[in-house]
Amino acid sequence: MAMLEKNYLWRIYWRLAGVIMVCVVIALAVVSYFSHRVFDRELVPETQQKAATVANSVRTLMLKAVGYGVPFNELYGVDQTFGDVFEENPEFNYAAVTDLDGQLLYYRGKEPQGAREYFRSPMILAVGLDPSATWKASKVGPQYFISMPIASDKPLGMLHIGIDSKFVDNVLLEVMLDVVVVLVVSLFFTLELLNFMAGARLASGLGEFAQQVERMRSGDFTATARIRANDEIGRLLRRIDAAIDHLNVRYEFLVGELDDKLRSALGARREALKPAMAALEGIRSRYRFGSAPTNAEGDEMNLNRIRAPLFAFILAEEMTRSYLPSYVNQLLVAIPGFSPQIVIGLPIMLFMLIVALGQPYLGSWSERVGRRRAMLIGASIATVGFAATALAFNLYDLLVWRGLGALGYAMVFVAAQGYVLDRTGQANRAQGFALFIGAIMVATVCGPSIGGILADNIGFRAAFGVSAVMAMLSLLTIARLPTIEVRAPAAKPSRGPRMREILALMVNKRFMTLTGLAAMPAKIILTGVCFYLVPLYIVSIGNTSAMAGRMLMVYAVMMVLIVPLSASLSDNSMRRDRYVSVGLIISGLSGLLLLLSDSFLVLFGVVFLLGLGQALSIAAQSALVAEHCQEEIRVYGHDAVYGVYRLLERLGNALGPLMASVLVVLWGYQGAFIAISALVLICGIAFTIATRGLEWQQTVAANP
Amino acid sequence: MGTIRVRFILVALAVSFFAVGMSAFLNYFKYKSTIGNIVKSRVLVVGRNIENSVQASLAIGMQFAELAQLPQVMSREKSSDRLVRGIDVFDTSGQVIYSTDRTRVGQKVPGPWIGAAERSKTTEWASDEGEDYVAGISLKNAFDLTVGYLALRYSREEVERAASVAGREILLAALGSFFGIAIVAPLALIVVIRRFERDLRTLEAAATHLEDRVEPAVPTGSAFDSSIGHLRASLRDANRSLDDLRAKLDSAA
Repeated sequence: MAMLEKNYLWRIYWRLAGVIMVCVVIALAVVSYFSHRVFDRELVPETQQKAATVANSVRTLMLKAVGYGVPFNELYGVDQTFGDVFEENPEFNYAAVTDLDGQLLYYRGKEPQGAREYFRSPMILAVGLDPSATWKASKVGPQYFISMPIASDKPLGMLHIGIDSKFVDNVLLEVMLDVVVVLVVSLFFTLELLNFMAGARLASGLGEFAQQVERMRSGDFTATARIRANDEIGRLLRRIDAAIDHLNVRYEFLVGELDDKLRSALGARREALKPAMAALEGIRSRYRFGSAPTNAEGDEMNLNRIRAPLFAFILAEEMTRSYLPSYVNQLLVAIPGFSPQIVIGLPIMLFMLIVALGQPYLGSWSERVGRRRAMLIGASIATVGFAATALAFNLYDLLVWRGLGALGYAMVFVAAQGYVLDRTGQANRAQGFALFIGAIMVATVCGPSIGGILADNIGFRAAFGVSAVMAMLSLLTIARLPTIEVRAPAAKPSRGPRMREILALMVNKRFMTLTGLAAMPAKIILTGVCFYLVPLYIVSIGNTSAMAGRMLMVYAVMMVLIVPLSASLSDNSMRRDRYVSVGLIISGLSGLLLLLSDSFLVLFGVVFLLGLGQALSIAAQSALVAEHCQEEIRVYGHDAVYGVYRLLERLGNALGPLMASVLVVLWGYQGAFIAISALVLICGIAFTIATRGLEWQQTVAANP
Repeated sequence: MGTIRVRFILVALAVSFFAVGMSAFLNYFKYKSTIGNIVKSRVLVVGRNIENSVQASLAIGMQFAELAQLPQVMSREKSSDRLVRGIDVFDTSGQVIYSTDRTRVGQKVPGPWIGAAERSKTTEWASDEGEDYVAGISLKNAFDLTVGYLALRYSREEVERAASVAGREILLAALGSFFGIAIVAPLALIVVIRRFERDLRTLEAAATHLEDRVEPAVPTGSAFDSSIGHLRASLRDANRSLDDLRAKLDSAA
């Protein structure tokens, strides 16, 4: 029943998303068509104006040579000058000089069809002879032309510059890439919004309906005093409630009647009531009537409600990923003894460090103050952090604001995680975390690309302002979370790992094989490459933050597509260590691609392989802790082992940008990509060898 | 109209608003940056002629502060393009040494100009802070050392007028598309969710007759047929048990 309801809803979602996407594509096509018309109409005259300025400059140069006595038809290096013009102005692709009869003297570029006739046309020849003429614009074949007379003390000829008519198309082609990004993001937004605005209530309504059916099938007709929504499902549930109420009233009436009769009946009359008493006993053994326990699951148990706040909040942070290093670069101040590259990495490193160190302790704090309240406080702090970052004066105050943002991020993240933990048991915990990770993944797909586009167009500061608004919106959705805190009565309060546990586990071979050779390197390459190197390198080779965002989107899409698949495959095969090994090795090979070439396509390959490698290993890694460190879990406890594992993993997050920046100082961007990848490759190989050993040890232990 | 349908339509409108809005935003800013770049590069063409003149003078050993012919060259170049409002040449400390506007000589240029010039990785730089836009070129000597900067001030209105014309048209196209979607999407959604709504209606109708004693209707083909069947069966069984109790109570009377 639950499966039917889930698949049924998803089928509806996808159909709705399909229809919405078709409508959106048509609307985007209309906007693009009209934009093209505007671009064509407005950009061409401006470009012609520019061509006239360039032509004027070339003409001055030619007249100078003529002034030195060089005959007009024997000038040297004119085509070379045209070459320089094309290099500086790629929208020009043809230039020529003709004499007063329209005969070609000098030219460069592919001559468009009809050019010779145009040069010799009486209208153009007349311009050449007119001493008061400035320049004339025409269209020759597929090209826009401007023609300018060349005259010293007498008319000499004409200078023509051709503008590639495709340049408007090329400008719009760049926009199209962003429009495709908008389409992908729209698809994810559609699914999120369907879930937020309709799906969450629908799913919970249908879920409740399914539960009610199951309860009634098992003979439970206890009445719930729940307020139903005024929609189709709510009305349906109200009708079922009414049917149950009627049944309960009937039952109570019959029981009351029987009790009355029993009180007044004696002897034979009492004997005659025995079949009714037996029937009531039978009813009581098969059915339950009365009121449902008050602690039955209500809306406060609805896990779906955490998805929208989490998505909105994480989106605010993810939007900054593609341009943060470039923004820091803009606010850079010289710190003695530190290279600028290292300084650029500082805010990312600080952010990751605060998140890493804060999370173990913020868990118990959020438990004390309440998950909803902790999220509200965290999102408020982060909102202030984003807004202040947008207004940052220089690197020093930026570090403070990013620190605030990190604190808020850690608070919200931990509290949301706690919200899921509080509302799930062993049976549905994986499902709860799938929802949690799903929201983060979707934000990771949408955030960097949209952030990059915004930063390119409205600037870094305004883009940070948008993140502040998004964090504020997340506050509104957090405020809608249930105010009643839910906590299993038997649940132990969580705690951060103690120092002696951290130290003991850090010298534990089995634990460190997994953490030091797999988890930390995976995080180092993630933050080092994706959060630091990719945004900076892309901008350094002349691309935009939007392009960096698209690259990071490739990584996120790989994660969204591959993680669920690799998680189920590794769980089914029970060879999680192999998935981690293969994932690490693929991640390690990614950066080595730059040994082949530094082209943009290769960089795409780097991010693609990194996404693939991480997606293969990420799900299996944490499951391996429980698998390989059973002894450690027995000694130190589950919380401590996982706490230290997460702490070290997140320290890897902080180390990534630091290592990458030092490597950039030493060997440049390409060298840094290659070195970090090589490190991860070595760790992957070492992990493979080490876990083969563990396998062998376990086999030996199992078969002494 | 059902509330679920309304919510789905609201989702469609919200997503369309985002997509169309982003597309219009992208097209507008692309247009603005393209036109800005065209105008800037046009202004820089004028600047290149002055740069060549400065470099030629420096190459023959003249001092940067003693280029007597430079103001004349600058005035001539300024007059070659109506867009250029003024040309300044300033040293690395930001002090104007030559200008087409004599009153500016000796004054300091705005801080953002120097910042933009120093930050630029090429010889070209630009700043859009202040009343006018500025496009500039770093002036280098034969040893590739920066001796000063050339700044060409040009009209902000030229770019903004063109952008506002395009912006208005793109906005109109976006609004038209959005209103088009606002009409088409709900109709398309109604077609798609018809089956779902029918299932819900069936479910609701079945729930209305849950307590009826008549035999259950034939399956409707709804996804909820089996659930409805279970519901009715559960209620029927419970009611039968209570009927049995009622009968036994009556027979004892």
